Amino acid sequence: MKQKKTLLTLIAILILFVFVFIADQTLDSYKMRILNLCAIYVILGLSMNLINGFTGLFSLGHAGFMAVGAYTTAILTMPDIVKTQNFFMTPMMKPLDTLHVPFFLALLAGGILAGVVGYLIGAPALRLRGDYLAIATLGFAEIIRVVFTNTQSITNGALGLKGIPVSTNIWWTFGLALVTVLIIGSLINSSYGRAFKAIREDEIAAESMGINLFKHKVIAFTIGAFFAGIGGGLLGSLLGTIDPLMFRFFLTFNVLLIIILGGMGSITGTIISAIIITIGGEALRFLDESMTIGSLVIPGISGMRMVVFSALLMIVVIFFNHGIMGTKEFTWDGLFAKFAKKPLAKGGNKQ
Amino acid sequence: MKKVASIFVSALLVGALIATGCGTKTESPSATTGSSASGDVIKIGVFEPMTGANAAGGALEVEGIKLANKLYPEVLGKKVELVLVDNKSDKVEASSAASRLVEKEKVSAIIGSWGSSLSMAAGDIVKKAQVPTVAASATNPLVTQNNDFYFRVCFIDPFQGKVMANYAFSKLNAKRVAIVQEISSDYSIGLSKFFTDSFKELTGDQNAIVGVANYNTGDQDFSAQLTNLKAKNPDVIFAPGNFTESSLLIKQARQLGIKVPIIGGDTWEVPEFISVGQEAVEGAIFSTFFTSEKPITPESEKFLAEYRKANPGVEPAAVTALGYDAYIVILDAIKRANSADSIKIKEQLAVTKDFAGAAGMITLDKNGDAVKDAVIKQVKNGKFTYLDIVKAK
Repeated sequence: MKQKKTLLTLIAILILFVFVFIADQTLDSYKMRILNLCAIYVILGLSMNLINGFTGLFSLGHAGFMAVGAYTTAILTMPDIVKTQNFFMTPMMKPLDTLHVPFFLALLAGGILAGVVGYLIGAPALRLRGDYLAIATLGFAEIIRVVFTNTQSITNGALGLKGIPVSTNIWWTFGLALVTVLIIGSLINSSYGRAFKAIREDEIAAESMGINLFKHKVIAFTIGAFFAGIGGGLLGSLLGTIDPLMFRFFLTFNVLLIIILGGMGSITGTIISAIIITIGGEALRFLDESMTIGSLVIPGISGMRMVVFSALLMIVVIFFNHGIMGTKEFTWDGLFAKFAKKPLAKGGNKQ
Repeated sequence: MKKVASIFVSALLVGALIATGCGTKTESPSATTGSSASGDVIKIGVFEPMTGANAAGGALEVEGIKLANKLYPEVLGKKVELVLVDNKSDKVEASSAASRLVEKEKVSAIIGSWGSSLSMAAGDIVKKAQVPTVAASATNPLVTQNNDFYFRVCFIDPFQGKVMANYAFSKLNAKRVAIVQEISSDYSIGLSKFFTDSFKELTGDQNAIVGVANYNTGDQDFSAQLTNLKAKNPDVIFAPGNFTESSLLIKQARQLGIKVPIIGGDTWEVPEFISVGQEAVEGAIFSTFFTSEKPITPESEKFLAEYRKANPGVEPAAVTALGYDAYIVILDAIKRANSADSIKIKEQLAVTKDFAGAAGMITLDKNGDAVKDAVIKQVKNGKFTYLDIVKAK
């Protein structure tokens, strides 16, 4: 049975790659951009879900980690000539202006640096709980942004960076999203994952069972920050330009929205909602345009799609008040049960 | 509960179905007209922040673009259709919006966006797709750099910094200047940098800038920075930045007894600058793109007449005039190219010379930046009044 499931997983991955290959061949760059964004938001959503959903730490520092990843990747991949052009106000700091490494290494460096920053922030801040932790992490994210605004010789300050080589393509984004799903998925199903969930449910009970609270919290936080850095690096390289204002609280909020809608503590839910939110925002654009219903012409109101989008989100949250998936996951067993023994599963289950 | 939920969800789905049905229904006629003739319609994309933090600026620009479209609805005998997409004042969204204009709407040219960083997010996309884009008010030099397909109808930060340095040196007889800059704004630090460079050159004195103080967007209290600068005894204070912070800053400077002239950039030209600063901002001098008091070209008169007819009692903002200019510059290029082909339009845009726009004569240089005169204005009796014009040399 186990072998069969592994086989099925491999087949699913193969299908995913066939899909990516076909998309790469047939879709225009607008649709490709949306697909890339979907995958990047899957990575970001999962990294935040690991911290907020699985370990139950209410952290709002994601934009800060993304900024670290995005800037590191950008600085390490930009060609010298572009760097000189960008830094026309204050020349770039010495070793950095001629430093560059291949895209993957830059991305990895971005992730590691974000992880290090996550560790440095997490070590003191994770002694706090609940709302206090949220405020502390939010503060740290803002500090990172303000530091980036002021270190002109490294980040070009408020001018931002332009001309970052666009190395992100659908293979990178979907490949790394898959890697993220696999790593976080196996982490959750390991003894660490069970410890994370125990901490989420009841810290005192978890501690009395012999779980080292601080160690596990820091591990979750650091790994979350690492993947946030990778996601940030991919995003910066997809856009080709970044500036500190991009990494305001609003960005954290976008990712938070994804995990709350998908279900705090569900990998499947995060994937589904990242795709829904990214595609939904673009698909609803027709609401902004003027409409003709019969002979009635309704002039376009900009922002209408945001109103509708928000209303839809509210409805989802009201009727699925644990998000789309809650803490449930997609499993092959679940799928078989759905097809094979439908009545039995229904009888056995509260649903 | 479960039942109610399922009924509700199905109702929602039906609703969504109807909505999308409507969507496709409305889209099909426009699609047919579009395809039946890429012949009778020329599409110009507009990507602007219509929601989010920069919505006010975006709306002013769109106002100008729509006005121009009303005055000049046709070119080469074909109707010009504006396709407006919202970029939500967000970089990620801005790149998707630009990509949508290029791929889905297949526009011939694009106007936008308010905010340099939003424009930069579209830079790579329009360059790759080879669709010429004209920014109305993005002043960061990086926007058009290394990008043959990005143009703008406003002057850039370096020029504005130079203009103010010249003005401070020759008209205000300043020898020592202090700078207060908004460190989190690319616009403010850009202006400060170029002001510093040209002012040092003009005075021949490396110590002509006696002090530089920084503040962040949203700061309320500037007394520390101002007290510091007051001690340095400058002749003039140059304080480019956002209008809210700037007017508070001027107010506090006057309260601290700083009497020297305070000068700045075009962002000050909004009614809130005066309503927040009140009598304290009296005498403040800044450079801008446009004045409604003294029409610069015949096109300005046409623009002003039309604007005043549509909005009685309101004077147009500079960015509205620039939005108007971005549209007519593109139209002019289409006329000269005699084609709606993107690459031909780009070639003609690049050689735009002495074109009369509402906000002055426009000549595009090799970077695609407009070389044009700057207007100097002063706050007098609670109003922005025209003071001088500085020629682009």
